Amino acid sequence: MNTIARVGNFTLEGWREICYLAGIIWQVFAVAVKPRYWTRAVRAELYRQIISTGIDAAGFVFYVACAVGISVVAQVLVWLQIIGQSLALGPLMVTVLVREAVPVLINLLAIGRNGTALTTELGNMKIAGEVRALDAQGLDPFIYLAVPRVLSLTLSVFCLAVLFVVVAFASGYLSGLLLSASAVDPGTFTRSIIFSMSPVDLLNFLSKTIIPALFTGAICCSQGLRVQTSSTEVPKATKRALALSIRALFGISALVSLLTYM
Amino acid sequence: MSVFIKKSEMRDDSGVHHTPVLAFKEVSTEPDPRFDSPLWDVTFTLSRGELLLIRLERGRFRLPLADLAAGVLEPGQGTVEFFGENWLRMLPDYSSTQRGKIGRVFEDHGWISNLSIGENIVLAQRHHSNRSDSDIEAEATQLARMFGLPGLPHRTLTGMHREDLGRSAFIRAFLGNSALIILERPTRNLFPGIMPPLMNAIRTARNRGSAVIWTTSEDGVWSDSGIHATLKCTMFGSRMNVIKESDNG
Repeated sequence: MNTIARVGNFTLEGWREICYLAGIIWQVFAVAVKPRYWTRAVRAELYRQIISTGIDAAGFVFYVACAVGISVVAQVLVWLQIIGQSLALGPLMVTVLVREAVPVLINLLAIGRNGTALTTELGNMKIAGEVRALDAQGLDPFIYLAVPRVLSLTLSVFCLAVLFVVVAFASGYLSGLLLSASAVDPGTFTRSIIFSMSPVDLLNFLSKTIIPALFTGAICCSQGLRVQTSSTEVPKATKRALALSIRALFGISALVSLLTYM
Repeated sequence: MSVFIKKSEMRDDSGVHHTPVLAFKEVSTEPDPRFDSPLWDVTFTLSRGELLLIRLERGRFRLPLADLAAGVLEPGQGTVEFFGENWLRMLPDYSSTQRGKIGRVFEDHGWISNLSIGENIVLAQRHHSNRSDSDIEAEATQLARMFGLPGLPHRTLTGMHREDLGRSAFIRAFLGNSALIILERPTRNLFPGIMPPLMNAIRTARNRGSAVIWTTSEDGVWSDSGIHATLKCTMFGSRMNVIKESDNG
């Protein structure tokens, strides 16, 4: 096969995969808006997944947000004061953290912590015959396994991103207080952040947190459930899910940035 | 061709035919690594309250019969009908609802590992029925005591003794009012002590109108005259050969 054919093949395969994943996400929403699918068993699974992907990750996100706040926010705060550009704090922080760093960082954390675990869990369930056992009891695997996981991952990523922003700014401000003799008062600091955010920035933040999380959930669920009979397929599926999720994350982030700030 | 056909279909006083709970029509399957043997040209009907007892060949315990009956496996040839409807013609939502009417003891454990045993037992009922949780748990606890457990188990899969897991499988299979109960070698590791409560549960289910399929590899079960099977057959390779057919279930 010549180079052009390979490029064409690659592009077509990529497009088919995007359409397949978009179909899964569409179906997740189509199921989610119908109350009859939300039986007690499915709701319980959703709560379990929210605890696992969101609440259990909150401590870890808090720790990382503190570290980022100390290393990034505090330094920016101190140096802006030194050069007399304190008013630039808000726009700079919104540009660096809210628009770009936080959505990507949180989604990377979600992929590494939850996405790979999700793929492995579903792959092992498939091999052990548990997915078939669910189907035999009348629990559609897509409704019982995939929908709660995709929705919980998306909701968790959004909530954790908001937590990250708040904690990063708070920890950055507090550590800046320790480093600098003349500090910006908390009201000024908060106002400069809030008033620097435009509706486009909020739309950008929402899009960059939610859309990659949806694709991560769809990718990890589909890769896990594609495992057939051998346990050696599970690590391969996990690696594939990881690579595809990261590719989707950076692709979507770049596309959203282009569309919102063009 | 191995065929067993009912001598007469059941009729009520008005002469209306009762739709069989399950009907296999010339069903054959392809060889599959998940099963020890495929099926070849199997035909039978099972009506309400009837019991089909199948003796398995040594070393060929995993058959596609249960998966075919539940509609999760597509036959290579022939059709499988549940209450007169072909599984393959049902829409996904409807077929899931119909599968909720089937209770089963799985050949390969069939437990969901990230749930406790208690959650596994009540899972299908919580999904398919509107019964309150307390009602479901009360019935499950009653069944647990009947099958020799002190109550509804809440341990994880890894924390359960093999025999207790076997008893828990009965609770799940008989919970609710299933139209079809499939028992895949249910007495493994529990024979003969489990027979009285199992026979009692089967009798109650059949009187309520449930059809039962029971596969066994144990001579003691096969020769037990108290089972009152409507149909008895043995597996010979991929074929099912009828041994006995009775009009009284």
